[in-house]
Amino acid sequence: MDFQVIGKVLPRKDGIAKVCGQETYPSDVVVPHMLYGVTLRSPYPHAEILRVDTSAAEAMGAVCVTPDDVPEVIYNERTVSIPEKTYCDRRVLPRRARHVGEAIVAVAAETEEIAFKAMQAIKVEYKVLPPVLDLERAMAPGAPALYEEIYLGDQKIAVENNVACERIITVGDPEGAFARADYIVEREYELPRVYHHQMETKTAVCRPEPNGGITVWATTQTIHNVRQLLGRIFSLPLSKVNVKKLAIGGSFGSSIQMNSIIPICVALALKAKRPVKMATSREDDVYDHTKFPARIRLKVGVKKDGTIVAADMRALVDIGAHQINSYPLLGCMAGWYASLYKWGDFRYEGRAVYTNKVPACAMQGYGNPQVNFAVESHMDLIATECGFDPVKFRLKNYVGVGDEFWGQGPTVKSIIKSCGVEEMLQKGAEMIGWGQRRPPREKTGRYRRGIGMARGFHTSGTGGPKPGEVIDYSSATIKINEDGTVDVMTPVMDLGGGTGEAAVKVAAEVLKVPYERVELSRVDTKTTGYDVCTHATRGVYCGCGAVYHVAQQVKQKLFEYAGRILEENPGDLELAYAAEKGVTIIHAKGFKQKQITIGEVARLAQIYSWGTIAATDSLRQKNCPPCFVAHFVEVEVDTWTGIVRVPRAILLSDSGTPINPDMVAGQLIGSLSRGLGYALYEETEYDLESGKLKCNGFITDNKIPTVCEMPRLADIQVYFAHTYEPTGPFGAKGIGEAALNSVASALNNAIYNAIGIRFYRTPITPERVLAALEGGDRDGN
Amino acid sequence: MATDTRVLAAEFQYLEAHSLDEALAWLGQYGTRARVLAGGTDLLVKMKTGQVQPEYIIYIKKVAGLDYIQADEAGLRIGATTTLRKLEGCAAVKTGYSALYEAVRSMAATAIRNMGTIGGNLGNASPAADTAPPLLVYGATLKLASQAGTRLVPVEEFFLGPGKTCLAPEELLTEISLPPQGSESGSSFLKLGRVAADIAKINVAVSLQRSGRNCTACRIAFGSVAPTPIRVPEAEALLAGQEITEDLIETAAQAGAAAIKPISDNRSTREYRLKVSRVMLAEALRAAWQRAGGVL
Repeated sequence: MDFQVIGKVLPRKDGIAKVCGQETYPSDVVVPHMLYGVTLRSPYPHAEILRVDTSAAEAMGAVCVTPDDVPEVIYNERTVSIPEKTYCDRRVLPRRARHVGEAIVAVAAETEEIAFKAMQAIKVEYKVLPPVLDLERAMAPGAPALYEEIYLGDQKIAVENNVACERIITVGDPEGAFARADYIVEREYELPRVYHHQMETKTAVCRPEPNGGITVWATTQTIHNVRQLLGRIFSLPLSKVNVKKLAIGGSFGSSIQMNSIIPICVALALKAKRPVKMATSREDDVYDHTKFPARIRLKVGVKKDGTIVAADMRALVDIGAHQINSYPLLGCMAGWYASLYKWGDFRYEGRAVYTNKVPACAMQGYGNPQVNFAVESHMDLIATECGFDPVKFRLKNYVGVGDEFWGQGPTVKSIIKSCGVEEMLQKGAEMIGWGQRRPPREKTGRYRRGIGMARGFHTSGTGGPKPGEVIDYSSATIKINEDGTVDVMTPVMDLGGGTGEAAVKVAAEVLKVPYERVELSRVDTKTTGYDVCTHATRGVYCGCGAVYHVAQQVKQKLFEYAGRILEENPGDLELAYAAEKGVTIIHAKGFKQKQITIGEVARLAQIYSWGTIAATDSLRQKNCPPCFVAHFVEVEVDTWTGIVRVPRAILLSDSGTPINPDMVAGQLIGSLSRGLGYALYEETEYDLESGKLKCNGFITDNKIPTVCEMPRLADIQVYFAHTYEPTGPFGAKGIGEAALNSVASALNNAIYNAIGIRFYRTPITPERVLAALEGGDRDGN
Repeated sequence: MATDTRVLAAEFQYLEAHSLDEALAWLGQYGTRARVLAGGTDLLVKMKTGQVQPEYIIYIKKVAGLDYIQADEAGLRIGATTTLRKLEGCAAVKTGYSALYEAVRSMAATAIRNMGTIGGNLGNASPAADTAPPLLVYGATLKLASQAGTRLVPVEEFFLGPGKTCLAPEELLTEISLPPQGSESGSSFLKLGRVAADIAKINVAVSLQRSGRNCTACRIAFGSVAPTPIRVPEAEALLAGQEITEDLIETAAQAGAAAIKPISDNRSTREYRLKVSRVMLAEALRAAWQRAGGVL
């Protein structure tokens, strides 16, 4: 395809502001007369709050909000799913603390220092309850219960054995199919809790307005869901709740839900009748959210010819103290599993369990890296045990064009229309030298190199032909200014991946306007239509899908006005970019001499009082196309120290048309770093006596890899498959989460190829590698 | 939380010293109620996490005459407020004191090395302090000053335990001096962290003198394996006066590993530290021997 701006590498619209420190993040917001808020957080993993004495804090001039001061509303902070599929178990401040670090009381004062001192002066009387810190024990009979009852939508439901929710799915007759299999391979995999490590911690600023409403500046991936939920909790009409769209300093999924401090900040501001700003410290944030851990048992049945006939996956997830999105997670994990390979007849059982730990929420991949690690390690294992080539075995069984894809669990599905899997696996194998790969038994010496591969995908959005359990649509407003330049108003948050630039490029491409003449407007919830959230890798496919849809309407309006001026039927007109003059023209089809610039059309429309050339509309995508990835990596294992290095990585992606190719490559390379952390370094461990994190919330003892652990840039190769998604804006799909999903799996498979030991649990630390090498344990556990 | 690392909520008096006399006078006056601030890369963290709550902060980076590196025939003299970054960029350190150079280079990230000082790294007395093992193997001497005068302390006597030194409340570490290194000497430093920019899981330094095929003297020090950085005389004794061979290096490395008593903590396990200490010591010995001009 020959595009004017799509696929071109152009400067980010926010680039100069960001590198010059001029971009406004929530933590930069300063409002006149504002107070600063901090929270008192529970030192106990499980405790009833009997009494809170705030008198000493108030004597210091502080304003305090206790559990008795917040609305009696039980909610779930993530409102992406439809209400009747949303489990609700939390209040703004709880009467019972369910994890160390849960906010119990909030304090605002003239400075953050005074607020912190006032917080220290508050006396809380606790009734300490026995905590549940182990997944198995949580489900055992007689275990202390975190909740007696919770809500599913408006329905009150009982909680038994701390099981928060579960999903069981059976397709066909797996038992019968296993009986027909020639080989059955079964293993258990375990993925840890890891912290999001987004750069920016959470900030909320709330200003009470004279009309009784509020204005909120906050760290979020969804301004509209924050607005709706604040309206509901504080019984405010939505017309009086305004949430501003600001830059976000990274999120990795940790701000899909309304952040826990946002309603606390609103409660403080409403009580103080003054603006309040709250910004969390890193330790507050580490104690606020985590990636979903998972224990996955996987059984697969295969025929001698390499055809998979049956599969069974049992997933157990320790979700911590609250349900943020565990029910949709269990569905999505089923979907990621169901959509990787044609299992034949299969079964899935997912169970989410409450424990007195930090609540788990989505983190880049939303269950996909966990499922992928199990499935892609398992595929390698089957290939080894049954004597198949790992690449050919995958090509024989993968889910591709014409197959059904579960984009968001069992209720959001669509048929795959574009797929680069075959191209990527062939190309990746060629680039890494797969043919020269030697088995582990031929490797000796201190340093042993291994080659491994894995493939994966993520959905692009959560749309589908019919409404499912997940809400998905976006809105956009586009207007042509009186000089022919263009303003794009989109509520879609850009999490740093370049969604904003993509919106500009899509509008520019439809309207044939140069990139420099299109700008993003600063918007908020009052000036934009609804967008669900930037999650599920939907920014480009869904968010920019709406921009594409609205730009087409603006184009029609342009033709209508140009038709009046040129005295032509609007249907007979065409848009073109006259590069030599640097202007966009509208001309009669097949008769270019009869033309007018769009700037002239806009100018005349104003002078003749015809009106502004603008449109606002919403769009729901009717598909959820998978963006595919493949990772071919080489590792070097130091068998004397157990240290694993990555000398070379080949990252392949099929994101349809790459609208921002530099940023697609950036996502792939950045995700290599995050996947490296997931595979080799990261885990937030608990002290099982105190319920505290061993790192105490500090990143000093919660390390992630930096550029020092990455391969040299020259040793990282990026490859884009040649695909075009017919349902996406200019053929585009997503990339953000897909980029991560098979990194850890590929590294695990490469480690096996180097030393002949397969690991079933991450992180694969030097300590564990050395223990496995010296213990002679071929299973690395 | 019990902490808020965004702010320094505790109140303290900030004193900015412009001369050594001024700093020593304040130290004499306030003693244990005061803390010395140089780069702040350890002190501010401890204050934010509530581990220390000084009433007085005495800032010494503006004291003239504490920030220098002097290399001559008498050896190397380093002022206590010399930044790690400055040491890293010093040719005399790089060419003459390889172990110290490698230690400084391995520390934290550039931004931290720009702030952190060698005096601070020693005064903080972490068992994992990266500059300590090199100073131990070079036989460094520390100059401690107070209003009463100065005294010289061998670095080996300086560390008493985690966070504890022999510095009296009124004393200030002002200078680190290292003896000259002969042409047939060599040294080396190795470190393992969880990631590159990290505190050591374990670190080791070696310094040795060569005469022909023999090692005439050898010093070995480990960090992060005991309450203080430690020498391992058991391994040193095996090498001194001996012809150096691969076998002897392996034997000495095993003896060194057998002499340490590490614990399991957030950074690593006792078992792992025991295993890799042997590998690291052997490698450090080889590197130091080769740098001394020895062949294997």
